[in-house]
Amino acid sequence: MCNLIPVSLTVGANRIVPTISIPYPLGDPNTPAEEQWKLRYHRVGVALDALATDITEQTVFKTRI
Amino acid sequence: MKKVICYVNQFFAGIGGEDKADQAPYIVEGCIGPVVAIEAALEDAKVTHTVVCGDNFMGSQTQEALERIMDMLKDKDFDLFIAGPAFQAGRYGVACGNVCKAVEAQFENVLVLTSMNEENPGVDMFKKDVIIFKGGKGAVKMRQDVKVMVDFANKLLAGGTNEGAEAEGYFPRGCRHEKYLADKRENTAAYRGVQMLIKKMNKQPYQTELVIPEKEVVPIAPAIKDLKKAVIALVTTGGIVPVENPDRIQSASATRWGSYDVTGMDRLEGNIFKTIHAGFDPAAANADPNVIVPLDAMRAYEKAGKFGRLHDRFYSTVGTGTTEAEARRMAQEIIPQLVADGVTAVVLGST
Amino acid sequence: MKLKIGNLTVKKVCLGTENAFTNGVLTIDKEAAITYLRECDDHITALDIVIANPGDDTRIVPVIEVIEPRCRVDGRTLFPGVTGDVVPAGEGELKALKGCCVTVVGKCWGSFGDGVIDMGGEGAKHTYWSKLINICLVGDTDEEFERHEQQKCNHALRWAGHRFAEYLGGIVKGMEAESFEAYEYAPVSARAAEQNGLPNVALVLQPQSQMEALGYNDLWYGWDMNKYLPTFVSPTEVLDGALISGSFMPASSKWSTYEMQNFPTIKELFAEDGKSLNFTGVILSMLNVALEQKERAAIMVANMAKNLGVDYAIVTEEGYGNPDADYVRCQVALEDVGVPVVGISNECTGRDGFSQPLVTLDAKLNALVSTGNVSELSDLPACKTVIGCLEALNRDGMSGSWGYDEKLGKSARDDGSVIMEDNNWFCGDHISGFSVKTMIEY
Repeated sequence: MCNLIPVSLTVGANRIVPTISIPYPLGDPNTPAEEQWKLRYHRVGVALDALATDITEQTVFKTRI
Repeated sequence: MKKVICYVNQFFAGIGGEDKADQAPYIVEGCIGPVVAIEAALEDAKVTHTVVCGDNFMGSQTQEALERIMDMLKDKDFDLFIAGPAFQAGRYGVACGNVCKAVEAQFENVLVLTSMNEENPGVDMFKKDVIIFKGGKGAVKMRQDVKVMVDFANKLLAGGTNEGAEAEGYFPRGCRHEKYLADKRENTAAYRGVQMLIKKMNKQPYQTELVIPEKEVVPIAPAIKDLKKAVIALVTTGGIVPVENPDRIQSASATRWGSYDVTGMDRLEGNIFKTIHAGFDPAAANADPNVIVPLDAMRAYEKAGKFGRLHDRFYSTVGTGTTEAEARRMAQEIIPQLVADGVTAVVLGST
Repeated sequence: MKLKIGNLTVKKVCLGTENAFTNGVLTIDKEAAITYLRECDDHITALDIVIANPGDDTRIVPVIEVIEPRCRVDGRTLFPGVTGDVVPAGEGELKALKGCCVTVVGKCWGSFGDGVIDMGGEGAKHTYWSKLINICLVGDTDEEFERHEQQKCNHALRWAGHRFAEYLGGIVKGMEAESFEAYEYAPVSARAAEQNGLPNVALVLQPQSQMEALGYNDLWYGWDMNKYLPTFVSPTEVLDGALISGSFMPASSKWSTYEMQNFPTIKELFAEDGKSLNFTGVILSMLNVALEQKERAAIMVANMAKNLGVDYAIVTEEGYGNPDADYVRCQVALEDVGVPVVGISNECTGRDGFSQPLVTLDAKLNALVSTGNVSELSDLPACKTVIGCLEALNRDGMSGSWGYDEKLGKSARDDGSVIMEDNNWFCGDHISGFSVKTMIEY
């Protein structure tokens, strides 16, 4: 899970889930706590699903929140 | 007077061709075959021994061959080890690479050199580990190939400086270091940059100072068949540690990592954990470390039964300024622990 | 825009009881200068002026900022929006004291972005500053909120440095210059036909802007560059004090304010302007942290270049690590709109030299200049004199040093010798263009 996707692609990570920034990858402190939780819960869920997904090339998984 | 040990295969040792390729390794005093030319080119050094091994023996029983050779060398005192030249001979090239790599690993202060043609498969296999001089296609180039390699050895043994792969004539190894140029305007980065642009503009040849290496592909791990059985660990490069930073992980250019118990915790509390990462504003992560290590979300999924179990410890280091080599080493230290603890998957968070 | 810089060479600096400049000797009324600077900012609790000459057996640490002493002949402030009002820069006349610099030094405390200068011995080669007379402004402040923080704004000391540079420049304000540099930058759409017939070249600068909290980043007319988007500017504005350095970024990758005032790559482009190229101008970008910000900046730079009719560009970044993503992305974006690029930056290949040189790579980068490796180790003997506080290397989280390492021990040893990464040399990789280092394969 990372914000700088080009870095992950360059070093060879295969399952990549985007996060929102470097200092706070999974929850923007400028948003209410519920928003942060929703975002974090969603993206961690995408990461768990990614672990169970077969891929054939480096893949950046889509997130909704 | 410095001491030198050389390595040749059965053919250059003069004991035979394909029929003797199964020859087991042995060591003799002094020079054999092309080693005579090496000795002749050496300045303040002499060849004390030559190791001989059949290419097939080395190819088919590599471990055994290397062990025997290391055993032959272990009580010897030498400053320089030269294998080959191997020219285009594939098996010989790979053998030289294997022997050189083993000698380099075992004898810290020994200069290790070999020489091969660019078509030799040994080049790509070993150029990262061993200095391989660019050699000719066949033995007619023996004299030249030996000269380039031994000139370099003479210089280094006399305390001279390595001027780099290109200037010396060996294959680039992906090992990049600084070089100071003479202090004048024409050597400043500003001048070099503008002149390089003008050449690029005018379609004239120019040399980039950083050749982009080919991308390394990492094999894809198979998907987890049943998440409900998975034991998942959280790992971070975001520098989340207990507030007292017990493992003294550096805030930048990290070489250390730590693992921290989260048994019974539903989330990471700000007064118990913080980030020591110097590469970004720490305020958000100090207030709520879950924005970097999402323990709370993982617990929620664990309780809901989405996956088997969250590992009791999370692993942490700092990514800023941390070199790829250190990161690789830390991963190689962390992974066996995770495997030993039955972890089957990792969610790695980077900042 | 026409910027004229009248140069006066300083051969010697003395501390005395009057301000004067005669026959290359700059005399500073030390007490008057200190009184003035303390009156300007009551956060300063201690201030001293110490001279370090090229060749001295002296180590200066922690170095916070380096600035060239200058003044504007018309009385305009030297650093608009910083030492005075926000007023236009890039046009007019400056006087510059060459051969010396104001070096701002923490008396007791360092921070992540602070660095080291060795004036003599083997360490001298690591920075350009060892060639200059360093007029060190050594101080402490009451900025308690950041006393023990690794990241410091160092506002009081940095501003004191800028004021001091202007104060010193004022000494020669009415004096005759020995030589002049003139930078003439004609309006892009109204240039002579023969000039416009040459290939149009832009310089893309990526100054440091990574800290989301304000007060740490480079400033453009006093504006924090984290809250900024790429803009087209005149190179003379950069040379005339519109851009100043910040406090964040490992020291060797920084551009000090001195480098912005004398930006070597800008000067080399002016040297070719009208001969082999038409210097279209500077696209001043930044280095924010989030991917979306990086993408937005790269798009804006590429489109600006395209719309200005730029044919070729040079891209250079103030930093390494995360900023490499901007550096690479911006070059790729330019190449993709048909603007071939040369990039100038340092690398991070690790102590053994085998690590990936930039954090992102792209095969489209085929013309790069390398200015150094942040991770080389320097192991140097003690210097007779230390200006500042050597212990800062061990204690304050400076970017290339440490207080504990199981193999190497601490960075500042008890006998005064040091072991540290090149990261710690103040602006040591001189990405702005002073660097005479390159990187080669060993």
